[in-house]
Amino acid sequence: MTPLERRYRRLLAFYPRPFRREHGEEMLAVLLESAAEGQRWPRLGDSANLLRNALWMRRLGADWPNTHHPRLWLMVRLLAGTWLLILTAILCGYGRWWGLALVPFALLHFALALRLGRFIGRGADGPPPPGLGVS
Amino acid sequence: MSKRRPMQEATFLILTALAGGSQHGYGIINDVEQISKRRVRLRAGTLYTALERLQNDGLIEIDREEIVDSRLRRYYKLTPTGGQRLAEEAGRIHSHAKVAMSRLERKGKAAPA
Repeated sequence: MTPLERRYRRLLAFYPRPFRREHGEEMLAVLLESAAEGQRWPRLGDSANLLRNALWMRRLGADWPNTHHPRLWLMVRLLAGTWLLILTAILCGYGRWWGLALVPFALLHFALALRLGRFIGRGADGPPPPGLGVS
Repeated sequence: MSKRRPMQEATFLILTALAGGSQHGYGIINDVEQISKRRVRLRAGTLYTALERLQNDGLIEIDREEIVDSRLRRYYKLTPTGGQRLAEEAGRIHSHAKVAMSRLERKGKAAPA
């Protein structure tokens, strides 16, 4: 593996895992194909562009979770969110109103669960596409 | 038909590139550069964010895959829906441009070349 390829791979690692599995190898091919002869470092513009797009895909409202096990994580998120709400109710029942501070965390779990649900709903969590034996 | 937001230029150019037949990522970048007369050079991050969205929207699909020099090449092609959307968008731009040109001409041939 050339230094340039290694550096581009490091940049691609900012993308959510399922997206990288789907498009990582072909993106790498495009990046290396457009590289100049003997180029050792990623171009600054390309790096910034990869980073920006990778972070955009990781935003809360995006369809891309960062896991290969979306179903498992969906259960974990739902249970964690529910458990936090129950805990809040118990705390408030005993007059510990600071328990309400847990609610945002519960909502965060539910938001992440929603993203996982959308990902699964798209059928995007199937087996990896053919031709991607390399990692 | 419901009103749609105008297509982004990058999206329009990618679909235009694929209207001539299936192409892989690097081919699309070069073709878009040519279509736009060297004004638009797509970067890999932008291209694949767009391809992913277009695929999800059903406007393009994977045509075939090849391994060249042990590198993956995935070819994309327009779907019938994608062709229809591109035709609509091209028609919209064309009709606006036509009005602009004819008005400028009527005003005294002030239209720049």
